[in-house]
Parts: sequence; C-alpha cells; structure tokens
Amino acid sequence: MSQINLTIDGKSVAVEPGATVLEAARRAGVAVPTICDHKDLSPYGACRMCIVEIEGVRGFPTSCTTPAAEGMQVRTASPELESLRKRTMELMLSGHPNSCLVCPHREACESMRPKATKAGRSTRCGFCSNKEECDIRTMALEAGSRDLNLPTLYAAHNLERGDPFMDRDYNLCILCARCWRICEKIHGKPAISIINRGKDARVGTAFHKSHVHSGCTFCGSCIDICPTGTLTDRFARWYGKPDAKTPSACLLCPEGCALIAQTHSGKLVAATMTAFQSEASLCALGRFGMAQIVNASTRLLRPAIRENDEAFTVDWDTALDSAANGLKQHAGRVGILISAATTREERHLYARLAAGLNGRFAVVPTLPVDPLPAGQGTPLPEWLADIQSGKITALILGGDFLERELARSLDFLLVIDGLPVRVQDQADVVLPAALLAESAGTLRTAAGQIRSLARISRAPGQAKSEWEILRDIGQKLDIAEMHFDTLQDVTAAITDDAPPASFPGRPRQDVFSLPATYRGHLLADIIPALSAFGLPTTYDPSQEVQPTEGFELLEIRELVPNMHLLRIHAPQVAAHAKPGQFVILMARETSERAPFTLADWDAATGSITLIIEEVGRSSRELISLSQGARLAHVSGPLGQAFPVERKGTVVLGGGCYGIGAILPLARALKEAGNRVISVIEGSSAYLLYWEDKIRAVSDELRIATKDGTRGTYGGVQEVFQEIREREEDQGAAINMIVAVGCTFMMRMVSELTKPWDVSTFVALNPIMVDGTGMCGACRVSIHDETKFACIDGPFFDAHGVDWDELACRRGAYAREEVEALPQTVDLNTLMFPETAKQGCGCGG
Amino acid sequence: MHAEHDIASPKDNINPKRPKRPKTPRQPMPEQDPRRRRYNFEEVPRGYSEEAARLEASRCLQCKNAGCIKGCPVNINIPAFIDLIAKGHFAEAADKLKEQNALPAVCGRVCPQESQCEAGCILGKKGDPVAIGRLERFAADYARNHGHEPPVCTAAPTGKKVAVVGAGPAGITVAGDMVRWGHEVVMFEALHLAGGVLMYGIPQFRLPKEIVQYEINTLKKSGVKIRTDMAIGMTQTVDQLLESGFDAVFVGTGAGLPSFLNIPGENAIGVFSANEFLTRVNLMKAYDFPRYATAPIRPRRAITVGGGNVAMDSARTALRLGAESVIVYRRSLEEMPARAEEVHHAQEEGVEFHLLTAPKRIVTDDRNRVTGMECLRMKLGEPDASGRRRPMPMENSELVIQADTIIVAVGNQPNPLVPRTSSGIEVGIRGTIVADAETMATTKPGVFAGGDIVSGAATVISAMGQGKQAARAMHRYLVGDEPPCV
Repeated sequence: MSQINLTIDGKSVAVEPGATVLEAARRAGVAVPTICDHKDLSPYGACRMCIVEIEGVRGFPTSCTTPAAEGMQVRTASPELESLRKRTMELMLSGHPNSCLVCPHREACESMRPKATKAGRSTRCGFCSNKEECDIRTMALEAGSRDLNLPTLYAAHNLERGDPFMDRDYNLCILCARCWRICEKIHGKPAISIINRGKDARVGTAFHKSHVHSGCTFCGSCIDICPTGTLTDRFARWYGKPDAKTPSACLLCPEGCALIAQTHSGKLVAATMTAFQSEASLCALGRFGMAQIVNASTRLLRPAIRENDEAFTVDWDTALDSAANGLKQHAGRVGILISAATTREERHLYARLAAGLNGRFAVVPTLPVDPLPAGQGTPLPEWLADIQSGKITALILGGDFLERELARSLDFLLVIDGLPVRVQDQADVVLPAALLAESAGTLRTAAGQIRSLARISRAPGQAKSEWEILRDIGQKLDIAEMHFDTLQDVTAAITDDAPPASFPGRPRQDVFSLPATYRGHLLADIIPALSAFGLPTTYDPSQEVQPTEGFELLEIRELVPNMHLLRIHAPQVAAHAKPGQFVILMARETSERAPFTLADWDAATGSITLIIEEVGRSSRELISLSQGARLAHVSGPLGQAFPVERKGTVVLGGGCYGIGAILPLARALKEAGNRVISVIEGSSAYLLYWEDKIRAVSDELRIATKDGTRGTYGGVQEVFQEIREREEDQGAAINMIVAVGCTFMMRMVSELTKPWDVSTFVALNPIMVDGTGMCGACRVSIHDETKFACIDGPFFDAHGVDWDELACRRGAYAREEVEALPQTVDLNTLMFPETAKQGCGCGG
Repeated sequence: MHAEHDIASPKDNINPKRPKRPKTPRQPMPEQDPRRRRYNFEEVPRGYSEEAARLEASRCLQCKNAGCIKGCPVNINIPAFIDLIAKGHFAEAADKLKEQNALPAVCGRVCPQESQCEAGCILGKKGDPVAIGRLERFAADYARNHGHEPPVCTAAPTGKKVAVVGAGPAGITVAGDMVRWGHEVVMFEALHLAGGVLMYGIPQFRLPKEIVQYEINTLKKSGVKIRTDMAIGMTQTVDQLLESGFDAVFVGTGAGLPSFLNIPGENAIGVFSANEFLTRVNLMKAYDFPRYATAPIRPRRAITVGGGNVAMDSARTALRLGAESVIVYRRSLEEMPARAEEVHHAQEEGVEFHLLTAPKRIVTDDRNRVTGMECLRMKLGEPDASGRRRPMPMENSELVIQADTIIVAVGNQPNPLVPRTSSGIEVGIRGTIVADAETMATTKPGVFAGGDIVSGAATVISAMGQGKQAARAMHRYLVGDEPPCV
C-alpha cells in the first residue's frame, strides 16, 4: 500500500497507513512528551501530554490517538502547546507527591543522598523506590521548571501490602491506565480497572477484593509497565535500578518460560517477561519466586562430610574425594534421585554417572499442589523400595525427596543441593550447588523447545554449578564418559533428550496451580508469601510468640502520611524523661534495638509519646502494632538531656520526626525564660503536624515547606536566615540555635550558622546497637574527637560534626537493611482496614 | 577424631583407694573436632563423662592445707567437692560448689584456672594439676541436666530491700546471696536480657546462653525480681533508688565502655569494637538474620587487634562467620593475656597470628570502607610497669594487612552511667568506683560496688569474688550481723 506523506514541524515524513501522528513525529525525529503511551499498548489518550496542532483541525488533538493523514501539517511546539502541556503536567503532579521536584535544595540533597529512603509511603521522590526509573520525574526534570502553581493533593489511600509480592501505593497513581490496559492485553479480562469517579477515581479490583481472589495471575506486567512508584515488586524495589538485564529461562516447571533476568550487584533481584505479550507472560513463581529462592538465607554454603557421626565442613577436594570413595564402594548398588528442575546438561551427567556406577536413576517431576496433599504423593520411583531390601545401599540425592526412615537404611548418602534437605544430618557428604540463575545450561520445554539459561547471579559461599560437581566426581571415579572440559561440550554430547511431560496445571493463568515444590523443597517454606495461594508450608504462624508482658501500646495513629504517633505505657521512662532524650524500642524479641527521640511524656499517667516515621524494618514492625498490643522492650530515657539554660533568644528547627522532637525542647526552654522561636519544616503542607502544640509553647511559630505550599518556600535554614535578618534589623540577636531532623537538614543548618558565631546544636542519629555506651557503633567525630552519640549525645555542637563520616556510617548496612524488610503477607492490619467503609467501588 | 570416651587409664595403680603417688594422668577434655567447630557456634569442649570425672577426681590428694582454695577468688572448698565426685556423689558435689559459687557451670568454663586454683595444686609442681575447672563444670552440668537444685538456706525475711544494679556476674552473685539471707532483692539490667557480659560478650561456643538463662531463672525462682530495660543512671539514679525505699545498693555495672586505638581511620566502615561485634552476634543473634533484625557483620577477612580472651573470642567468632581470621598483637605469644587454652583453640581452628605487630593506621577506600590495616613490626625491649617486655617499633617495618573488617579488642573502661549520675561516690583516675578492698563499700553510705566497675576490666570470677565480699558486708550493714548461712 502506498505511504502517507505529512509534515511535522516543517519536516516531511512518510508513514504506513494506520500510523498515528505521534509515530510519524517520532519517525521524523521530533520528540513529543508522553506518559500514558507505551510501545506495547494501543493508544489511549489519557495523559494529554502529546497534544499537537494540526492545520485545519480544531483544538489540540492528542497525537497518540490521531491517525496520520495525507498532507497533514502538524506542529508539536508552540506557545499555546507549551502552556497547555505545562498545565497538564501541573494537574498530573498535583495528584502525585512532587515536593522533591520543586524543592530548592534538590541538587544538594540528592548529591548527599543519592539512594531513596525505604519509606512506607512515598511522599516525595527521595522516599520512592521508583526514583531512578520514574517517567514523570524524568519528564518534570526535563521540563526544568520548579514552578508548579496548583495545590498538592495527597489522596491518603491506604497502602496495599497484604498481597503476595507486590506493594501498591495508589497515592502515586496518575491514572495513565497502563496497568489495566496491559492486564487486559495479556489476560483478556483484566483483574483491575478504574473504579470510582471524578477525584475519587483510582485503579483497583472489583469490589476491593484481594488480588489473590480477583483473577490476578501475579504476572507482574502491571508493575513493570507502571511509569510511577505506584506498583512495585516488594522484594526487588529497594535494591535500586537493576544494573543488568539478561535473557534467560525459567527452570521451575517444565513450561520453561523465557524471561529477562534482572540483576543488581551480581545478584538476581527479579525476572520479567521478554515482551508485553500474552504468550510471553510469566506465572507468579517465575516472575517473583526465582530471586527469593537464590537469595534465601538458608542456602547451603560449604561442602561438608560426616565421619564418626560428626559432620564438618571441608574443602571441595576433600568433599569430592569422600563422595567418589563412597560411591565407588557401592558401585552396582547406587541410586540417583534428582529433580526435574535441573538443566539438560546436569541430567545428562547424572545419567552418565548412573551408567558408570551401574546404578538406578530417576528424575522426579515438578507438580502443582492441587492433586497432592501437603508433602505427600510426590511420584517417586519404585526402585526406592530396594533401599529397604538392601539392593540399593548408596544414594545420590538432588533434592528434598527422601524420608528420614528410608535414609536410615542407606550405607552412603550424598546430597547435592542448594537448600537444606530433611535428611541433611544423615548425609555422609553434602555438596552445595548453585541454583537457577547461578549456573548456565540449557533446558528443554514441555513443548520441545531448547532454551539457554544464563549464569548471571553469584552463587553464595562456595556453592558450585551442579554440572561441574558431577564432572569432578566423574573424574575422581575415572568414568571416561564424564570427561568434559566445558559446559558446551556437555551440551554438544546430548543427542536424544525427550521433552518433559507438560505441567499438569496452568500456572500462568491460575495462581492456585503453581508448582508446590522446587527440588522437593516446599516452595512456601522458602517464599512464605506463596502460602497465600494455598501452597503447603511447614511454617505455622501461630507458633510465633507474641509478647504478653512488656509495654502496652495505648494509642497509635498515622498523624500525617508516613508519620505515626505511638503512645506507650512506660512509667519508668515517663517518670525520669528530660527534653532531648531518647528511648530504645524493640517491637518483638527478634527486633533490633532501635532508638527514637521522646516527643512527649506524662509522668502522671506513665505514658510516653513518640513520632515514628516508617523508613525500614524496625519502624515498620512498630507501626504495624495495634492499639492494646505490647512492645517487647522499652528502655530509657537514654542520652544526655539537652542543657536547658536561659540564653535569651533561642531558635529551634524541626523537620520530619524532628517536629515532634522539638516540642519538649521548646517547652523547657520557654519555661527557663527564653524567647523561643520554633520553625517546623515539611516537604509539603500536608506533612506538617503538631503546629498548635508547638505554637502553644513558643513565642513564635514559623513554617517552611520544600514545595512552598505553606510558609517560607524552602527549609528551616531559609527561615533561620529570615529571622536573623529581622532580628539584626531590630538590633537584636539570636543566642542559640537547635536543629533536629534528617542529617541533610542539620548539616544545612550547620553550614548556614557557622559564620554567624551562634552556638548551634544538632541531635545526631547514627546507627546504635545497645544505646548505653557499650558498643561504640554510634561513634561520631566532634571537633576531631570520637564521641558516642548514645551517652555523650545526642546533642552536639553542629560546627564540630564530621558530616561526611556520619553520612557514611549511617549507610553502612544499606544492603542488610533492604534484606531485612519483611516479604511475608503479614500486614493485613495495615491494609484494607477500611475496606468495609469504601463501598462497592461503583462510585455510587 | 577425638572420641568422646577417650579415657587415659591409670598405669600400674596398685592401690587406687589411697594413692600415695597418683599415677592416673590428667584426663583429657573431649573436644569438638576443629575442622567442624570452626564453622559452628556449638560448645567446643564436650565435658567429662561420669567415668572420666571420677577418675580425674581420684587424682586429688585432699591436701589439708589446700593451695587450690587459696587460689580461688570465691574460696570454694575444692577438695571437698572433688571428693564427692570421686565417690560418685555428683549432685552433692554441685551443692558444695553452690555454697560458695553462684555460677559453677559458668566458672567451670570461663575461669582462668591455670592461674588460680590449679596453679595452687600440689600435683602441678611435678606434673599436671587436677583439672579442677573441668570437674567444676562436670558437677554443675550434672546437677542442671538432672534437674537437681541445691538446698536453699531459708533465712527469715529481714524486711530490708536491696537494689542490685547490673545483672552480670557480680550482680548475680550479690543477688543470689542477699535473697538467701532474707532480703528483698531487685536486680536492674540496662539491656533487654539479664546476664551482662555472659550474654553479650562471651560467645556461645565458649559459654552456651542456655546455661546463663538457666542460672538467671534459678535466681528468679529464689525470689529475685529482675527488671530489664532499666539503665540505672538514666532511667533512675542510684540516689533515687535510695530515696525510693532501697536500704542498700550494689553497683556492678561492669567495664562496658570500649577502648579504641586512636589511630587514623578508626571510624571507617568495617571497624568495630569487640563489644559491638560480639553483641551483634551473641545478644542480638545476628547470625539468624533476617529472622532477627539486627544487621549481621559479614567479614571476608577480619583482623582482630589485641591479645586477651575477648580478642580470641572475636577472632574465633569471625572465623565462624566465614572469614579468614587474623590476630594482630604487638607483643609475643608469651605476653599474651589470653588463657593458653583459648589461644590454643584459636590456633587449632585456623586463626592466623601476627605477633610483634602493632596497628599504625587503617586503610580505606574512597567510600570510607576498610581495605586493610597498616602495621609496624615490633621488637621487645626492657620490661615495663606490668612486668612484661615493652614492645618497641622497628624502623621502616611498615606492612599492610588486607582486611574488610577490623575488630578492636584492646580493653574496656568502666561504664560511666552510674559514676556520672550519682552523688557522693568517689571515682578513681580511670573512672573506676573507689571501694573498700574488704567490704566493697563505696564512699556513699549504703552503696557497695564490685566487679569490673571497681577493678577495671578483669575476670568473671574476680567479679564474683568481689560480689561475695560485698554481699557479706551489705548484710552486716543492713542487720548488723553475720549472714545466717554461707
């Protein structure tokens, strides 16, 4: 068919019939901003960023939905278009937390804190796990303007964290509809859609059902196509933007789906579809499970042998010798039992080993949970009965298939696996194997296709690829047929492998027919969230000890997004607390000892009040408690009280949790006869709290917001500057400054006031372990002298602080802090508490 | 392999009942194979069998003027308890120990017997002394494993109330005695678990935490109230305790303030005090991360600086966390303050020793993470005040030892929380509390102190010895009389 010729910004371009104006513009090399548009989705016209002017056409059509026509004269840039697009972006951003985009300190802040904080709610880019990959952030930054004139509306939707694998925060949603459009494209009948109307419109399931029961298959495509941080992969989200994406395949069932393996710092963090197409979809296990299996904390790390009933770790050579010797002694009476979740090369080498030892060999297929009661009925080969009769005396076990009873009848047991098996302590030799993405090879799908597996994730400890382990054992046994130099040689030697039987379930269409096991291990034991799909597990949550003694939580509520007020019964703290001190909290016996500044207390009722921002595991455990629950431990008050003296005019600055922390300081300093000016800072007006409380104990209250929605545009430092100028105009002076907030804020204040010659105090917040001076984890350098923040602080002379060192030390456990975040579906108390009140979702 | 029933047999022991010149050799301690134990946290010595214990006990000469008792900081009647073991009365032997020692299962494991009781053993003059520590452990373990509890002397309530500050070895001793003698005892602990250094410091493979908690439970059952999460000095001061109705206070807050080396780079990421390193693993159970939330340290190559028992504990813990483990000590093996057994265990497990080597500077990368430590070679000069030969740096002997983790185990100073917040308690130059050598009374009436807060960093048993002294003096102070029973 003939082509269509049109002109875009004066450039002539020819496109196929049916192409849109947007496509034509791209062909012509003209950039048009878009958000809702996606190459794998049909045009939708939701965001209206791609508007153009077309000669002879009224108004400003969206180029993504307008078909190109012969002779069209299109303009993509004009003052009107610019102004309309800017207004469209402002509208979009008024419903999306944007304070970082307009903050005057963005560059400085991001240079000191390039990584996002692991916040529960993303109230700004700096708190958003999608920061490095966000389309609207990129668009806004490219637009370059910090000038947003519409008010910020924070919808205050509940965080949705009660489903497996995905975290959803619809407060970030810009209603581009990519998620439900891709869901519809891939699954035909989307599990999600836009519900409610007008300003209440949002994406959700029908009748607010949990995604588990909504028809969602947990393919993850909505997460992967979301341009914002609304939909995220709970496991991968805080590792940061993947640094490599490698095509590979899934070994977890005989479907053998192709996928893209995403890695960060040499570790697998997620697997995604190869394309946004129905045929390429993945099941929940393939999309989310693989990364959690390879990163499991129970992985086998070192080869071990058993002698005289005592097992100990040894080097590889010793272990392989023990393996080979044991097998040699039992040649002719050896069985090999492995999982179907192995590569062709591995199975081929096992088969040759079986032949070389004149033994029996069986591959246990991977099956869904459905026909099998928990842990029962895995189809094991009949020859296993020969173990009891003594015809088989040695076994190579490549998975958790063996009962303890049967293992007792064996004379020699060799385990080759990456995870602990039930008969681990009965094994004579245990060889730790690399799993899944940790080793290369090929697989044959049930449909007969051969796919390559890439080795892209670093195996833990000393774990080795299974094919190498087998080859080495073969060499030790002098089996000539097992002599291979490279994996490619093994692959080439495979001539006639039959495709495996197809998987008796449709895991990509039905989350209730996922494989129940991997190498015989119950998958829900490794990935607890899978139990939400009915997968069997030996884990019994009722066995978790809930503290019955301890400290009662009298009150808990979210004051402003992500900032929680906790009032706890702790009379021993309330009776002795002084301004500026902190407490150490442990929500459970397994928690960290986490320090929190006392925001208020009442000795009469024995209660203390804390403002806790959700930024990691400890704070999350605490804010997940319900009123009436008990905290395992509350210790304090700790730290030196702030030296409250009469100084004259004192200016206090509080940001985030620090707003709560300056309340007792303001009260005490005012009582001591000072003129107290309190300055509170929030990223945006909707994040400010306790204004009235602080005003009541201050002579003056000033407000600063990073987006200019209230008070001074900027941070406390801008207000400090204003106050200083005003005081100087009046011939007065500031006698003392105190700042409590994030490290960045306190550092900015310190730099500002250094030339002023005004004593400036900051409350430092390094990592602590015990909080009583015992460990020195919290050491900070003040005027080149090492101090312990827990017993010498928390308040120090701001001008003596080594800020770079503090920032560095605070980040020392960044990776562990991400690993510690809960992956289980245990937060139902947090999500959907108000489902009942939200109605049916029809908007009526 | 070390078989568990490896018993040395007496050679031509003609008259085993009353051996004049005992020929039975010292019974070896069955131990976990070093190849296995270097990766696990299970206890290294397995303990004597009943047979081995009786055989070892039979070696004791039952001296009238027993040198062993003189060497014991808590004056255990050692010949008596050993005699009971020799006769097979194991539970009674444990009762005998308990008369003088609140924590025999602990002391049998961590005391430096070679410089205390066993140093005074007459058999040691010509051969090997009786293995008193191993026998102590045996009897205590026997009693615990058989649910045997010592008879409690039941003194009438005195109506007096005693506060014990710090639930470590000294405090446990005081609390145990005072409650038996009829006083109401409340023990305060700053951390979330009682036990002090026995919980946070000494590793599982040297002192199983179950044993410590068993002893704490025994204390609770005998009536001692234990209040954790109470940092005296912060939550309440000693002065406030006295005002609020306590008739006497014992301060046993230990030496819990780690010393550092004061060399460049010491605040880099990857440098830890031994306290932090051990606390994360022992008290906070970081080895069970992420079930336990405290971030684990994952050393690949760890340098431990120091030559004491804490250094050995740290180096061996690093090994068990999967690291290559190196000790850097500025003197030679001879001057090492660590127990010979600990040094031997560390060497057996594969800890590398860099002796006559002193840290000069910590080497870091551009992200302030440790990459190694620059050291100087030392030679030994004339003896210094401690009587040990003084290490002197050799010129141009700098060398860099690669490491990603550095553990500083060069001692602790007294915890300042109580001295800083109490009135009238005199403090020595190094921050220790000044106490009477006999009564452990401080300069503040009604306040007694003992353990590392008085003596600086010392041993578990010396802290317990001071606790014993303090308890007696406190009882006299409260009721004007000697304790009703031992």
